[in-house]
Amino acid sequence: MRFIIASSFVPFIYGGGTFIVDWLHSKLVEAGHEVETIFLPFVEHQDAMFEQMLSYRLLDLTEAADCLIALRPPAYLLRHPNKKLWFIHHFRFFYDLWQTEYCHHKDNARNNEFRKRVMDADEVGFSESKHIYTNSQIVANRLQKFNAVEGEVLYPPVIKPEIFQCQDYQPTIVCVCRLEGHKRQELLVEAMRYTKSNAKLILAGKGSSDYLPNKLKMKVLDYGLKNKVEIRDRWISEQEKADLFNHCRAAAYLPYDEDSYGYPSLEAQHASKAVISTTDSGGVPELIEHRKNGLLVEPTPVALAAAIDELVEDRALAERLGQAGPARIAELDITWDRVIRKMAA
Amino acid sequence: MKILVVNNMVPFLRGGAEELATHLVLNLQQHGHQAVLLRIPFAYQKAEQIYDEMLACRMMQLYDTDLVIALKFPAYLIPHHSKVLWLVHQYRQAYDLSDTKHTNIPQTPDGEMLRQCIREADNECFRSVRKIHTVSSVTQRRLKVYNNFESDLLHPPLNDPERFTADGYRDYIFCGGRINVMKRQYLLVEAMRWVRSKVKLVIAGPADEPSHGEMMKTLIEKYNLADRVQLHLGFQPREKISQWVSQSLATAYLPVDEDSYGYCVMESFQASKAALTATDSGGILGLVTHDQTGWVSMPDPRQLAVALDSIFENRQRTIEMGWAANESWLGKETSWERTIERLVA
Repeated sequence: MRFIIASSFVPFIYGGGTFIVDWLHSKLVEAGHEVETIFLPFVEHQDAMFEQMLSYRLLDLTEAADCLIALRPPAYLLRHPNKKLWFIHHFRFFYDLWQTEYCHHKDNARNNEFRKRVMDADEVGFSESKHIYTNSQIVANRLQKFNAVEGEVLYPPVIKPEIFQCQDYQPTIVCVCRLEGHKRQELLVEAMRYTKSNAKLILAGKGSSDYLPNKLKMKVLDYGLKNKVEIRDRWISEQEKADLFNHCRAAAYLPYDEDSYGYPSLEAQHASKAVISTTDSGGVPELIEHRKNGLLVEPTPVALAAAIDELVEDRALAERLGQAGPARIAELDITWDRVIRKMAA
Repeated sequence: MKILVVNNMVPFLRGGAEELATHLVLNLQQHGHQAVLLRIPFAYQKAEQIYDEMLACRMMQLYDTDLVIALKFPAYLIPHHSKVLWLVHQYRQAYDLSDTKHTNIPQTPDGEMLRQCIREADNECFRSVRKIHTVSSVTQRRLKVYNNFESDLLHPPLNDPERFTADGYRDYIFCGGRINVMKRQYLLVEAMRWVRSKVKLVIAGPADEPSHGEMMKTLIEKYNLADRVQLHLGFQPREKISQWVSQSLATAYLPVDEDSYGYCVMESFQASKAALTATDSGGILGLVTHDQTGWVSMPDPRQLAVALDSIFENRQRTIEMGWAANESWLGKETSWERTIERLVA
């Protein structure tokens, strides 16, 4: 089959939203399909949203391929009679984040009308789609709640799960993801003030600016945690990442209200490592169940310190929770085989 | 600088302009810029769809981008305050091909309106850009005649000049490139019937139509030329092409009215090999000067045979012309370094 994968991007900004597209592309090619990927620009500036949405709408790809797979909004406004969605998030400021502290749009008549129009446009894209898959139950629930649309959960796998092979259970806790405020590495550093075991924390990942990395480094010095916390504030290779997961006692991943379980949780589970996360992390509990394959605790330094100590002091527990990982992934069938089967169906 | 290279794309088709865009991005990156390629789908099968596609490009919004380098219609209509064109070609069906069988725009009032619209959108874009460069003198002339805009001629450089260095002068003449009726490799085979010397010919490249490849094979058999004409059909890796060129005595390239210099001749001159071409080969004559950097013959087998014999029999003169060809080519300074300097200036 001939597929076009379409998504939006912000030129010069690189992030997780592009991985899922690149990986889907290469897996469809591996399965013998012809694939072309289209990234079109989109910036969520209120003044220019509708012009940009219109630019997508004006493009008709009917003749170009047998199937269009649309990911990041508003790629689903592109025209094609056989359109499938792998829906990864809404324009969140107009949906679940509307009038929360993160939303910068005022609650006035104009903005309410604007919000309604965004939803109307989305509805066109949704109603034209032959099938809507989501990357998590949370996103499926939001589709149901805001758009009254059914989405089928299709969990995104990682591209090379085979590089994650447990080697060891050294007493380190690793957290591998971008160094950003909402990923809450700060909470982990705070937790290390309260640990009593010989646990060591490794934070690895690049920040979008120096601000957070420097703040974290200051805290490490201020709290005298130099021997307990290591910060690798840089982009790390896939191999270095695999080495971290393959040798650690357990992983930590504490995003605030994330849309999905997050690749770090999945990578840790492939490496047979338990995941420490929090009850307010959004999609992580879809993969990680408390005391089955990880620990889900209150988002406080003391609770996190207790979880870290428990896994460092009780190696057998860490091994048992970690080794439940691959079975959990199989149970949810998080595989490219499943993704390709669904897309080519 | 943050530079966005903008090209259009017809899904699943790749040609010279796609190669040019890819190498432009790579070379901008090597020169220390942040460069990203934006490919905007262009279907154009249905004439009336062209309005939508033009409008789509005009509705797109670019932020946080210092410079746009745009190559083709309608992608170059994307708005930006600092835009430079490196024009490959305009929408020729609205210009030089508008009254021939090549156009998909009907000869009706509606068709005339579309042509008018394309021309006006073009003119407005050409007025607003910082600078227009054209890839060939033909494109430059068309822009002057049809739109009355001046432009700077900026030939695309070779992408891998380091592969092409003289590696001896053997007894064969090499002819590369796609094999088809317009490139007239068959004329060279016909010419080989009439040569008196022991000159050999090597032809290598993919046939556009399998039947044309078969026809070439039949010709070689029919004239009993198998021991003097080697034919290598199919896509050839760069290592093989550069080896054939670098060890040849000279090269031959006889396209009908080509737009540009032609990569075959550029590679030949880079490797210090003089080139045989035809009086009606268009842009090639911008490089090949008869009796100085090569031979310009009538596109006729008997006259080509005379040229082939002369290349072989006056071996020392042929080699000297190869050096002259190299000198004249290097004098044009079409390196990526120089090209990027001019595009970014």
